[in-house]
Amino acid sequence: MEKQHLDRILKIRLPITIGVILVAVALTFLISKSERDGVGYQPEQPIKYSHLLHAGQLKIDCKYCHTGVEKARHAGVPSASICMNCHSVARRDRPEIIKLVKYYTDGTPIPWKRVYKLGDFAYFNHSSHVVKGINCVHCHGDVANAEVISQKMSFRMSQCLSCHRDAHNRLPELGDKIKNGPVNCSNCHR
Amino acid sequence: MNNIDDMNTLKSEDHIHPHVHEHEDHNSSMLEFPERVTEEFNTDKMSPLSRRKFFALVGASSAFALASCNNYRDKGEIVTYNNKPEFSTMGEALYYASSLNDGSGILIKTREGRPIKIDGNPEHPVNLGKIPQTGHATILDLYDPERLKYPLRKKDSALILDKDELVKIDWVKADKEITDLLIKASAEGKEIAIITHTVFSPTQKKLFSDFQAKFPTVKFYTYELHSDNNRAIAWKECFGEVELPSVKWDKAKIILALESDFLGNEGNTTEQIRMFASKRDVEKPDDFNRLYCAEAAMSLTGMNADYRIRISPGKQFEFLLCLTNEIVSKGKLSVDGSVTSLISGHNLAAFVKENDLNKKYVDYLVKDIIQNKGKSLVHAGEKLPVNVHIATNMLNSILGSADLFDLSSRNVSYSAYSTSQELEALVSNMKNGKVAVLINFDSNPVYHFADDYGFSKALEKVGTVISFTMNQNESSNGNNYILPINHDLESWGDFNLRTGLFNLQQPVIAPLYSTRQKEAILLNWISAKPDTFTEDIYHKYLMDRWEKEIYTQANPAVEFRKFWYSCLHDGFINLSSKAVSGFPQFKLPAVTMSQKASGWTVMLNRNYTVDDGRYSSNGWLQELPHPVTKAAWDNYASISPKAAKELGVVNNDVIEIKIDNRSVKLPVMLQPGMAENVVAIELGYGRTIAGEVGTGVGHNANILLSKKSGISEWIFESAILTKTGDTFKVFSTQEHHAVDEEFVKDLHFKRDIIKEGTVEGYKKNPKFMKEHEKELQSVNAERLYPGLKWAMAIDMNKCISCTSCVISCNIENNVPVVGKDQVAVGREMHWIRLDRYYSGTPEDPIVSTQPMLCQHCDSAPCENVCPVVATTHSDEGLNQMVYNRCVGTRYCNNNCPYKVRRFNFFNFRDHFANGVYLQDSLKLLHNPEVTVRSRGVMEKCTFCIQRISEARQEATKDGKPLKGSDVQTACQVACPASAISFGDMNDKESNITKLREHNLGYHSLEELNIKPNVTYIAKLRNKHEEEDSANGLHS
Repeated sequence: MEKQHLDRILKIRLPITIGVILVAVALTFLISKSERDGVGYQPEQPIKYSHLLHAGQLKIDCKYCHTGVEKARHAGVPSASICMNCHSVARRDRPEIIKLVKYYTDGTPIPWKRVYKLGDFAYFNHSSHVVKGINCVHCHGDVANAEVISQKMSFRMSQCLSCHRDAHNRLPELGDKIKNGPVNCSNCHR
Repeated sequence: MNNIDDMNTLKSEDHIHPHVHEHEDHNSSMLEFPERVTEEFNTDKMSPLSRRKFFALVGASSAFALASCNNYRDKGEIVTYNNKPEFSTMGEALYYASSLNDGSGILIKTREGRPIKIDGNPEHPVNLGKIPQTGHATILDLYDPERLKYPLRKKDSALILDKDELVKIDWVKADKEITDLLIKASAEGKEIAIITHTVFSPTQKKLFSDFQAKFPTVKFYTYELHSDNNRAIAWKECFGEVELPSVKWDKAKIILALESDFLGNEGNTTEQIRMFASKRDVEKPDDFNRLYCAEAAMSLTGMNADYRIRISPGKQFEFLLCLTNEIVSKGKLSVDGSVTSLISGHNLAAFVKENDLNKKYVDYLVKDIIQNKGKSLVHAGEKLPVNVHIATNMLNSILGSADLFDLSSRNVSYSAYSTSQELEALVSNMKNGKVAVLINFDSNPVYHFADDYGFSKALEKVGTVISFTMNQNESSNGNNYILPINHDLESWGDFNLRTGLFNLQQPVIAPLYSTRQKEAILLNWISAKPDTFTEDIYHKYLMDRWEKEIYTQANPAVEFRKFWYSCLHDGFINLSSKAVSGFPQFKLPAVTMSQKASGWTVMLNRNYTVDDGRYSSNGWLQELPHPVTKAAWDNYASISPKAAKELGVVNNDVIEIKIDNRSVKLPVMLQPGMAENVVAIELGYGRTIAGEVGTGVGHNANILLSKKSGISEWIFESAILTKTGDTFKVFSTQEHHAVDEEFVKDLHFKRDIIKEGTVEGYKKNPKFMKEHEKELQSVNAERLYPGLKWAMAIDMNKCISCTSCVISCNIENNVPVVGKDQVAVGREMHWIRLDRYYSGTPEDPIVSTQPMLCQHCDSAPCENVCPVVATTHSDEGLNQMVYNRCVGTRYCNNNCPYKVRRFNFFNFRDHFANGVYLQDSLKLLHNPEVTVRSRGVMEKCTFCIQRISEARQEATKDGKPLKGSDVQTACQVACPASAISFGDMNDKESNITKLREHNLGYHSLEELNIKPNVTYIAKLRNKHEEEDSANGLHS
């Protein structure tokens, strides 16, 4: 009788238990994957700046504000002075602009919340990608149609390599102008 | 409520136990333990909370705490500029031309407004892009966490018992109090003494005279622990001119260096190395210069000599007279009557025999000098006495070496050194209370002055002592005021080291702390309103002087502002100086003959890294291995192996060195090539107040200095050496052993680590190295590199092992300082090292050196043993290291035949000197393009991958393909001899390809067939014949 009992545990209950555990782990892993990668992260910013309005409706070029994007590693979040190029006259009465002007006149930097962050061990360079004609949209999503900015893509190494190894299919609009990117470790890690 | 209920029930449950416990208690206390010991375990007195309940509560509360951490996705903030400066782009470096306080023209790399690297200014006519190791490393001093951050004042003794305690004081208050004191001192006619190092700045000189005009009792004293003063005195006596001409080393065919380390630490070494190395070009073997060294201590110059003659410094004068006599008689030269009477009777052959000099070498020397008359340069070392310099001038003028001196470009100095009489007068004035105020103007006289002046004791009688200094030092100790000053990179200034060449110094960062530049402090005290200091006070003063003096001299076609900005941009202005024709007439002054002395001769030498002790708190320099002995973090007494045997001492035994009544105890270092009965000690160590890093490093040998000089200020005879029986370990970064030990003798040649030849051999058979080449078989399929392939070549004819590359690499690649205890166990982190090998005999060693760095082998043995694939090969031939993958097995290190991999046994920034280099200010220094490695990670030379990436980025932006010549590594940029080449070996036109295929090119340990990408160009020694294969040379 005891043997039978043990048999039942081994034959039925154990596989079920293990199965349940595995499924739970796998499901949690898959469901939380994007969350863990930061996809969809959408923090509240100190000023409710709208890319939809500026980049989408007013059609201001990305490079007008993100001045470093063609020159340097960092695209750069614009300094308050760049905002003030227009807002020293435009929409001075709006509450968000009043906040902006206050930051500017007080001389305190605007504490923008960081949305995109690569691991410290990876050295990404905006300029080498942008001058090749790769559109910002490929990594940052359709920013021009986003009211609040959020992370659209996971920044895992596999994501980088998917283009570096298969540029033609991933960036068909560039045609022959684009070659596969380098895949040496030291191109990004140093 | 629930909780309380729970607790109650718990309590009642637990009531069962007390009885048991009590029972046990009783028994145990009776049997084993005294009663009170077990009292603690009385459960009645213990918390009613059970173990289980406790964990439940801890678990629940931490779960709540974790649940409240809802911002786990938070990535921090991006803090932007409020008003971005137009010229700066995040992530892009900006370069500024400026000057260091020693007058080197520099180019400073800044990132986001903070300086991160100093290199030479490539356009500067003297530096040509190169600066000595101290110049590179001084950037660490800027961020030194122990810098003084605000002015300090001694507490009022009336109020506080501890008199030496310092309090923070306002600048305005300090200015007020000190100017009152200065006015009072001038009114009472009491002296205000200002002690300073050499002044190279014309504007500072003007400031000094303005200061003197305002306070007439001011006296300036200038001193230097090591100086060129004897040479200058001799030059003046012989030629009647004050300023020394610069030497055209690149025009000399034969150089005789007498105890002169012109390649190591004397004079403008970078310029001298460059000029010397320019005559060591393997493409022009007929044009090779030949270097003879006659010296006692093994110096860097001696290591590079083609012939080295061992001679005691006391014999140099006699040697020169004998040599002159021999040359005059053999070369049939006509000389002045006064010269004839001086040299007659000095017989070289007898001198050589008496002093056991190498006769063959001396004969070669005489022959060479006569043959190359007019192209032979004799150069005496700065520490030799005046009479040797006079004899040098005599021989040079007899040989007609006028072409080797540039009279239109002279060494300028704006202050004469104070004589020992002047310093004695100062001390006696101090003792008599005639000195009211004494200012240490960025100087450290308490540490530097010879003890027998009695300076530090006399200091107690001085009313007010003020120090202008960056860090606390021996002289600032116990001062009334300590005023913190700016670093070179935070200051304005100008320097004039050569005739007509004016450097400008501009700040590249605002003062990090509440400091002022030292000139501005003085200027403020003599200004109309000392209580309203403005930051640009000295800037305006400098501009004003330039407008009046330099602008009018230069007389350009533009207005002053444009002229000023163009000078600032270039970092210097070279005013054309008149070509001087005709060498001044040599007149033999009266010379004192050298005395014959007995006993040991002590030589107090300049050291290669920390200078006169001013860089003691610089960890990078302290850890830089000595170019000859490879010892770090210490000084020692170098004696010859034979003398050591006679004394009965071995390495690390402590000896006492006694000159008259002055004595010092030092560990012994057995140095092959040392003259017998000579002991060489380097000064600049043993600082007692030099912060966490520098305090107590090495031994203070300044004690041996005296106001009464021996042979010279730095050489003393009749010293007594005694064995003490103690030991003190000095650690070297290279294993050392006796030169003639059979097992390791000439190992570097036998194992083909180094290959060498002679110029004669090369001229006869240029392919002599390729003749013994073997066909090497490989089991691996050859890997192809279709695109770029990076490679380096190091020309060993040019490399003189000066170690500038090491420091430059350290700064570029964020290499940490590990400290003496870690160097002791071989854990130094340098990515490039200078190996030094001896062959020959302990008396006449032949020194071979080799810079060793990661060879980026095509079939790298490190790569296939890494269990986590953290080190791999790129398709551009680089051996890559991925820190993030590395788990620290150290297999790669064990499998590397060159031993160039470095392991982070600790987070060394934290581990070293109470974590002094982990402090916030040091974070500003790090190169943001290179990972700061932490504990447990392997690292090694990357061929400056960050510079390759930067060049690639620039090429991509410009839409051009990346070329090998676009990249310069940090070591390459720093090398004063330009011995290092770097580039793309697939580019057939490039210099690197030519060098790789050069007849003299070889790989270290070639027979391993791991296909290194670093090629060495074999050193050719400029020997007379090919007899030298006997000395272990492969020719």
